Amino acid sequence: MSIGILIYCFDTEAVKYHPTANFCIAQIKKHLKLPVTVVTDTVTQSHLQGQDNIVLVEPRKNNKRFYKDKSIPWLNLERVNAYDYSPYDVTVLMDSDYFVYTDNILQYVDTAYDFLLYDKVYDATGRNSFNYVSKSLIPIVWATVTIFKKTASTERIFAMIKHIQKNYDYFCNLYRIDFQNYRNDYAFAIALNQMEGSTNNFLPSSMTMLPIDTEILKIDTTGITFKYDKYINSIKDQDIHVLNKEIPFNV
Amino acid sequence: MDIRSLREQSDLSFNRATAKQNALEKARSRQIVTYNSHIFRADAETINLISVLKQQSTVFILDVNQNPCEINNPRELLDLLITRNQEALNQYHQLYQQLKQR
Repeated sequence: MSIGILIYCFDTEAVKYHPTANFCIAQIKKHLKLPVTVVTDTVTQSHLQGQDNIVLVEPRKNNKRFYKDKSIPWLNLERVNAYDYSPYDVTVLMDSDYFVYTDNILQYVDTAYDFLLYDKVYDATGRNSFNYVSKSLIPIVWATVTIFKKTASTERIFAMIKHIQKNYDYFCNLYRIDFQNYRNDYAFAIALNQMEGSTNNFLPSSMTMLPIDTEILKIDTTGITFKYDKYINSIKDQDIHVLNKEIPFNV
Repeated sequence: MDIRSLREQSDLSFNRATAKQNALEKARSRQIVTYNSHIFRADAETINLISVLKQQSTVFILDVNQNPCEINNPRELLDLLITRNQEALNQYHQLYQQLKQR
């Protein structure tokens, strides 16, 4: 049985994602010791380091996101094809801005579950910034880390996600989702709701997150020091999802 | 005490509380174990349950997603749970001691 990590990385005019992806890959190699496949484009490919495998695609570019009061391109539409792109029997689909500092994820690659992801997050700045209860009729799930096996039921879930992406405006209205742009988190949540009702299986802990407005003061292979408002704090040996894209990797 | 000192003390307390919560979340993340293809939380509740049931050769318990699981060697699971629980709480204890000195 093959096990590996699948990440996506597409540089854009607004944000160069490859330094983040390279750090992500290095941390995976250090703590999880699993092969890494990167889905990327020809422009970004030459900047990537440490991956075992590349899947080249031409990403669709008709999605946007608000980032620090600006509307910027968001090349997140390819994630629906993760099932097809992954060469592994068990895949850990991971955002390139999710940094592993432990081997905790290894617990989840050998379970009875076909499809696992987080439904709870934790804001490391202590402000509970990710409370989206009032943002839709359906509770959000977090596609940031998704662990799936290549089974018929997983294939159906991804087929449903593709269907939802194609008809996102309809589903957005149906579930009264407050975000107008396409978000994988909600597409995954809707697909699970449609395919499995309320009997979903989730990763048991909360995913630790740092919000966009949190300045990253220092990052290295053991942890992150961050600042929000006037408060400076740090975490060590703890997996974390960092939303601010301005990360001082070379400091 | 003047208001400036009070505010500084308040900020320090807030920052310490956030750091403590982060350390606790780290411990909770570490308290997860996989056994017999099911996921369990190595917390006091699970440990107590398995301690009570450990005399039996086969027991049935619920995993973190409320799915039933057959355990044929509860003593082995208990050892695993205790080891992971104490590893996570030992780390938390060390971080907590550092925070108290801030």
